[in-house]
Amino acid sequence: MKKQKADLLQGTLELLVLRLLSSTALNGWDIMQRIQLVSGEVLSVTPGALYPALHRLEERGLISAVWDTSENNRKAKYYQLTTSGRKQLESQRKQWERFSNAVALILRDA
Amino acid sequence: MNFSTLKRRWRALIHKEQLEQELDDELQFHLEQDIAQNIKSGMTPDEARSAALKAFGNLVLSKEESRDARGVRWVENILQDVRYSGRLFLKNPAFSLVVVLTLALGISANTAIFSFANGILLRPLPYPDSDRLAVVDETALKRGVNSMSVSYPNFLDWRERNTVFEGIGLHFGTNRFALSGNGQAEELRGSYVSYGLFEVLRVSPVLGRTIARAEDTPDTDDVVILGYELWQRRFGGDTKIIGQRIALNTYSRTVIGVMPPGFKFPEESELWAPLGLTPQTFTRTDHGLSAIARLKDGVTFEQAQAEMDRIAAQIEQENPVSNEGLGVGVTSLHKNLSGDYRKALFILLGVVGCVLLVACVNVANLMLARASARQKEVALRAALGASRLRVIQQLLTESLMLAVAGGVLGLLLSVGALRLLLASIPIKLPFWMNFGIDLRVLAFTVGVTVLTGLVFGSIPALQTSRVNLNDTLKEGGRRSLTSIRTFSRSVLVIAEIALSLVLLVGAGLMIQSFLRLRSVDVGLNPKGVATASVTLPRLKYPEKPQRAAFFKQLVEQVTALPGVEAAAATATVPLSGGFWGRSLTVEGYPVLSVGQAPMIQHTVVTPNYFRTMGITLLSGRDFTAADTAGAPLVTIIDERLASEYWANESPIGKRVRFGPPEDNEPWHTVIGVVRSVRHERMQEETRKSVYLPHQQMPVNGMSVVMRTSGDPRTLAPAIRRVVNQMDHDIPVNKTPTMDEVMAESVWQPRLYTMLFTVFGVGAMVLAVIGIYGVMAYLVVTRTHEIGVRMALGATARNVFGLIVGRGMKLTIIGVLLGIVGAYGLTRLMRSLLFNISTTDPITFTSISVLLVLVAFIACYIPARRATKVNPLVALRYE
Repeated sequence: MKKQKADLLQGTLELLVLRLLSSTALNGWDIMQRIQLVSGEVLSVTPGALYPALHRLEERGLISAVWDTSENNRKAKYYQLTTSGRKQLESQRKQWERFSNAVALILRDA
Repeated sequence: MNFSTLKRRWRALIHKEQLEQELDDELQFHLEQDIAQNIKSGMTPDEARSAALKAFGNLVLSKEESRDARGVRWVENILQDVRYSGRLFLKNPAFSLVVVLTLALGISANTAIFSFANGILLRPLPYPDSDRLAVVDETALKRGVNSMSVSYPNFLDWRERNTVFEGIGLHFGTNRFALSGNGQAEELRGSYVSYGLFEVLRVSPVLGRTIARAEDTPDTDDVVILGYELWQRRFGGDTKIIGQRIALNTYSRTVIGVMPPGFKFPEESELWAPLGLTPQTFTRTDHGLSAIARLKDGVTFEQAQAEMDRIAAQIEQENPVSNEGLGVGVTSLHKNLSGDYRKALFILLGVVGCVLLVACVNVANLMLARASARQKEVALRAALGASRLRVIQQLLTESLMLAVAGGVLGLLLSVGALRLLLASIPIKLPFWMNFGIDLRVLAFTVGVTVLTGLVFGSIPALQTSRVNLNDTLKEGGRRSLTSIRTFSRSVLVIAEIALSLVLLVGAGLMIQSFLRLRSVDVGLNPKGVATASVTLPRLKYPEKPQRAAFFKQLVEQVTALPGVEAAAATATVPLSGGFWGRSLTVEGYPVLSVGQAPMIQHTVVTPNYFRTMGITLLSGRDFTAADTAGAPLVTIIDERLASEYWANESPIGKRVRFGPPEDNEPWHTVIGVVRSVRHERMQEETRKSVYLPHQQMPVNGMSVVMRTSGDPRTLAPAIRRVVNQMDHDIPVNKTPTMDEVMAESVWQPRLYTMLFTVFGVGAMVLAVIGIYGVMAYLVVTRTHEIGVRMALGATARNVFGLIVGRGMKLTIIGVLLGIVGAYGLTRLMRSLLFNISTTDPITFTSISVLLVLVAFIACYIPARRATKVNPLVALRYE
């Protein structure tokens, strides 16, 4: 049913979100823009994937949300990393690095 | 799940709307940001909007998934189901109403019978720690006597020797007291009790004190304790009543205490005086007292029984004559009080349970019928991604909602039903029976309701949810599942018929048994006989001649009343619950010890009693005014006694004497033989009887009986007037007719018969509706087929036979299963039946035929409709 344009692996999106939120609090739209910008338009994510991911993270207590005003003076929901979110980011990042190194190794040698 | 998660989920449930709003706001914000950016990059607002919406993708889906993330999905589902079901019911009110009413009737019957059982069997007695209270009575197991009242010296030995009771007290049943002075004379129920009885019950007076040990002796027993209600009613709640003297049976007693509100013991007694007995005045051979004991902490009923067995054996050894073969029984007070009802209540609970089961089956049937109409809806839901579990959940929610509606209505109806039930009980029920709705009843109703919902809901839910998507959607969802569903419905109909047959057979047996009971020849003719009980105050009429003269004069005056054909007086009205048993010794037969001498019913009557009551004098003569205290002592015996001792000769002129054989009371000469009368129970001959003339044995309490050719109820005011003129201190309370006395004596069988009949007929009506429903449905779903058959030459007769044959097949299978079930189950009700076998073939046959006939009518109507099918219309119909 879900045809997501973004070729993001399950879990990868969450890692990206956690990484983006590690420096500053952002709203959903910001997060989408940044994923696109930072990845140099390579990665894209749809709202249909992003918002459920955000709410899952919130449900798991990895991020928390407050309502605030955006730059153009509109009410928006801003997400920020919680302490356990920060720990999760750390461990996931390590895991990801191990994983991508392993993949890189295989691709180079094979 | 940690606390903060829990808190979030709680918030998700409680603040559902707020969260929904936030979700909308968040997504709205996102959309607007997109639109704004699109406009910035040069699109028109409209283009910007549609582009943003396209990019946004499935807004609803992302909302769904965001919602899932909240973790309370299932609760929301339930709420959603409830709302949906509610809408559905409102759309189809007739269906919902039928279902709810059927369930309400079933549940209310169950709740009413359960409250009844609860009040008698489960609710504790209104005394503190009442489960530790025991009835201690005597037994004579070798003579087949399981329970016998207590003698005073035996009681004294028990009290002295036992180590198992915290306390033990006595009472002398319920007696009548005439309270005179201070206004109109009033007949009250009161009891003579031993000191210590209130302490055993752990009930303290609200005013004053209880009976002291020194007051429980013959000379200082002129004290009395009042019930709270009596104190309020007669003495205006005056606290200065303590120490005052009041006239009871024209004997003056000092009020020493007032018991708390609502306290009555035993039965309806509301005043208490000391027994004041001595072992000399109330000997070991005099039985008549009742003992109540409280078990010590940690002592079981078995231990108490064992110790009392030991003590009884000791007493028997010390008093071999008076106590030969006597034992002691220790039973729980509650069990002892509820004993009569216990068995009947369990049977009734089973019966109403069956009725509810039939109601469930019927509702399941209705739900199945409706399920076909909903096949498409369910298929659509499945196609849209609803799991089977989710569909079952939705369908069960519907069933439970209907059940709850039925339960609530049922609970309300049960209040009325219980009131009706209690109103049909003619006797005053003991005060400890409390039939109010308590937590136990509520829990029962809730349990029954939920169970009901699951039972009738599960079959249709499982059935309906099993959909074959393609078939259903393609074919318009009718024929593919028809056969399975018809099969389920047929099974349900068979079950209904079988169950209702069992109930109807039970009802049939009860009705026949009751009719046989009512047509029993009790030995007298009750038509046109009125009774009125009159008790002379012992102290105002201390001498026997005074009593004899009073009743002689009373009977004379009553006989002279207009409309009275004959009148007399008797110490015990047959079937009214009064017995007077005495030992019998017959001249010429060996003198037996008191433990072995036969007990006979000993009745004191005035002349003309037999004529008034319609009791046939078989030989000899009636008592006359000449049988006075100075004349030779005479007696009239009944035919059963006559045939036992004088089978081949005339008993006239033989001599008998009464009381403990060693007392050597004077001999009485038999002057007549009368037909036997059932004194105790209509169900059976009990004791053989003797009658004594009142002039020779004047007692102080008699019932006047009078025969009239008119309505005996019209005599009541006249008899009251006569008694009042003779002595206005003497109250006349109850004046039932003999017919009423007899009807009252069988109120239990009558009530049970009535309940069985109501429940049996109710079940039958449900079963008939069930079979009608299935047949009508069959005709509708097979209209096409019937049209084809008719087009191919089938006659109306063939079609009629097809439908009726189908219905009759189900009926016959149900009836056969029901007969097997009834054969097994009716034996459980043997104790309720009189004079009829639990497998009475006539009842079994006639009930089966009745059910088949009624079912035939239920099939006839749809079958007729089937024959009216117009082949052309039917074929075009598809």
